[in-house]
Amino acid sequence: MSAELALPARLDLPAAKPLAEDIIALRGKDIRVVASDVTHLGTPGLQVLLAAVRSWEADGKTLSFSDPSDSLTEQLALCGLSPEALSTSTQEV
Amino acid sequence: MTTPDPMAEIRASFFIECEELLEALQDGLSMIDDGATDDETVNVCFRAVHSIKGGAGAFGLDELVRFAHRYETVLDEVRGGRLAPEHDALLLFMRAADVLSDIVRNCRDGIVTDPDAVEPTLRELEALTGAEEEEEEVCDFQPMTLSLDIGIPDTVESDPTYEIIFRPEPELFQSGNEPLFLLSALKEIGSVETECDLSNIPDLSELDPEGACLGWKIRLTTDRGQSEIEEVFEFVEGLCTLKVSESNTAPAAGLVAIPGLPPLEESPIDDAENETVPDQRTQSTDTPVDISPRLTLGLPDAPSASSEADASKTEDDNSAGLSTSEKASTPAPTPPKPAKPPVQATATKATVRVDLERIERLVNLVGELVINQAMLSQSVTQAGIPANSPVAQGLEEFMQLTRDIQDSVMMIRAQPVKSMFQRMARIVRESSASLDKRVRLVTVGDTTEVDRTVIERLADPLTHMIRNAVDHGLEETSKRVANGKQEEGCITLSAAHRSGRVIIEVSDDGAGINREKVRTIAEEKGLVPIGQQLTDAEIDALLFLPGFSTAKTVSNLSGRGVGMDVVRKSIQDLGGRVNITSTPGKGTCFSISLPLTLAVLDGMVVEAAEETLVVPLGSIVETLKVRHDDMRAMGPNTQVLQIRDSFVPLMDLGVELGFREPREDYNGSVVLLISLEDGTRSAIIVDTIQEQRQVVIKGLQDSYGHIPGIAAATILGDGQVALILDPVDLMKNATGKTRSTLSQLELAG
Repeated sequence: MSAELALPARLDLPAAKPLAEDIIALRGKDIRVVASDVTHLGTPGLQVLLAAVRSWEADGKTLSFSDPSDSLTEQLALCGLSPEALSTSTQEV
Repeated sequence: MTTPDPMAEIRASFFIECEELLEALQDGLSMIDDGATDDETVNVCFRAVHSIKGGAGAFGLDELVRFAHRYETVLDEVRGGRLAPEHDALLLFMRAADVLSDIVRNCRDGIVTDPDAVEPTLRELEALTGAEEEEEEVCDFQPMTLSLDIGIPDTVESDPTYEIIFRPEPELFQSGNEPLFLLSALKEIGSVETECDLSNIPDLSELDPEGACLGWKIRLTTDRGQSEIEEVFEFVEGLCTLKVSESNTAPAAGLVAIPGLPPLEESPIDDAENETVPDQRTQSTDTPVDISPRLTLGLPDAPSASSEADASKTEDDNSAGLSTSEKASTPAPTPPKPAKPPVQATATKATVRVDLERIERLVNLVGELVINQAMLSQSVTQAGIPANSPVAQGLEEFMQLTRDIQDSVMMIRAQPVKSMFQRMARIVRESSASLDKRVRLVTVGDTTEVDRTVIERLADPLTHMIRNAVDHGLEETSKRVANGKQEEGCITLSAAHRSGRVIIEVSDDGAGINREKVRTIAEEKGLVPIGQQLTDAEIDALLFLPGFSTAKTVSNLSGRGVGMDVVRKSIQDLGGRVNITSTPGKGTCFSISLPLTLAVLDGMVVEAAEETLVVPLGSIVETLKVRHDDMRAMGPNTQVLQIRDSFVPLMDLGVELGFREPREDYNGSVVLLISLEDGTRSAIIVDTIQEQRQVVIKGLQDSYGHIPGIAAATILGDGQVALILDPVDLMKNATGKTRSTLSQLELAG
């Protein structure tokens, strides 16, 4: 059973802390992070997501990042990242 | 740093910045209009629009982005020398700047901009550059790389590549900045290869969500100089670690491989692939670039490329050793092309933005301080402490300091009139366009500082005066030409400080006031009796009468129900006066005289019928004592006072304010000679003059509404409330409509 977490539209500084708390609450589970609503990527939010990937990998759990919009993919590209960077490498799709 | 909604604050500061950028844009355009042809001026305009676009993009203000983008494209053409800023084009740019500021304000206020107000200008802008594809903003991250034949490198014009190491500090986020915008800005000036350094990402449980743990290494190939790259990071100076250096070596290995992207060391890199060909824009640069120095470039980077394991450490060492202030100090080894002339950084003074409310609070507190100090000195006097005692001397110094503090606080609120003048430039443009007149606005004394409340409240009356000048002041173009004048009319708006007041003048080089016509209209409207003798100044003053309008047809500009009477009323409410001077055939000048601040006032504290009152010092011409011989009866109830060789109407303050009945004998009374708006004078009888001092103005309008003859109130040293007189209003109410009919006055007899 994997849990699902829908990301808010803006992943900026005010959103970072609540996001981190939401994700930590799901620790130990496989989760699917749904990014379809995200319109604005901010570095603080990005850091949380990357840290989550690192933690989930360390736990041997799966975190899959799904449905990024084109605009989000572009914003990730600006950061030198692809959407795959936000999923654990052990994920089963 | 935690506030309820940091984004709202950041958004608000973006709009404040927009105002500044718009001002810079207006300035730049006026400078070009005045004949400035240097690249920097065009650059300033371009950058202003560009920055607005950038910020707008961040907040998702699409309509603003769309317009700014088109505008910027055209300015870029000018910057590139492909489009000459001819007169018509310049007018369009100014209109576009107006539209841009409208959109900015609408976005700020959450109003949807009417497309009809934007589209025509947008189309005109497009017409200048030719059609452009709508989707220009596609985020094309992947730089176009081409393999070049190693045999022909010297025939390829290539731009230098810079290596930028950028690592935000937590303060960067807290101050509302976002690395993504900076990365996006870099992408705009060249072709980028971005690597994200994830090595410091901790476990989620250890992550400070408001901290900073990402870093970037960007390879930027651009035709811009290093200083321009650093300019991108201008606003995050001190908030990040930044290192910009020129480099043409392969991207240094050692940054953490990013999942999903092929690890760098696996991609076979040879010299040829290293020649990153810039995108078409940068490729089209016609400055040939000498690539030979690149051959020497491997050396400075050699240590960092030594081993994969050391590399990230080296990078950290580099960055650790760089204090933010040193960020630019990493020398670019032998720049391959001469750097652009250094940006003419106009020495901008360091400023800090302060919430207006805090300033208001400070002003109020200083007001209280002044009152308190006055009370203290009164207590000291009452206690009979001798003037040469340390207490009295200390108090003297305290008074001086209070005065200095007060002046300094008032200076905080002072603002140059420039922003308001720029708004007027727009009024001139719009009104002249709708009347099909060619008008040029010349501004003088833009830097004159006035209290911001004065500026705010002056905008409306000034707008009306400017419209009037364009509509009525300046003649039709054909008439001007017939009279041997230049086709283009000229309106001059000037500001200057003069003896503790600010004088703002609106003058035109039009036909001057047609006094015959003014007089006829006034007679037709029953404003003056037919055939009455009137001086030129009196005829001019008729313009300020309610219900007066000389326009035969009500144009959509003036004649909106706001007459010059309303203008004069608004200016009087500010403690100001307005005067007209007009020369037939030469033009008309409206001169507004205003107090510098609305918070304090130099006043004369007087007594009338045992009431303490304050008379603004600015209105008092002289003070004198009445001798019986100087008084002449004028009708049953009124008297006039002879002062040297002239007579002035006389009034008793205590009677005027209803404090007491007229006295039998005024011999020996103190008289204040007051100067009226039109230059004539009147004399006010008071009982005694107490002192001359600065008083803090406490408005009465909110609590009591307008009281005839009273401008405001203040608190005196003994804690007593004293009314501040509005002498002009007092005289006006006392003399009735026409000053010459003194019989209406209930004066001492």
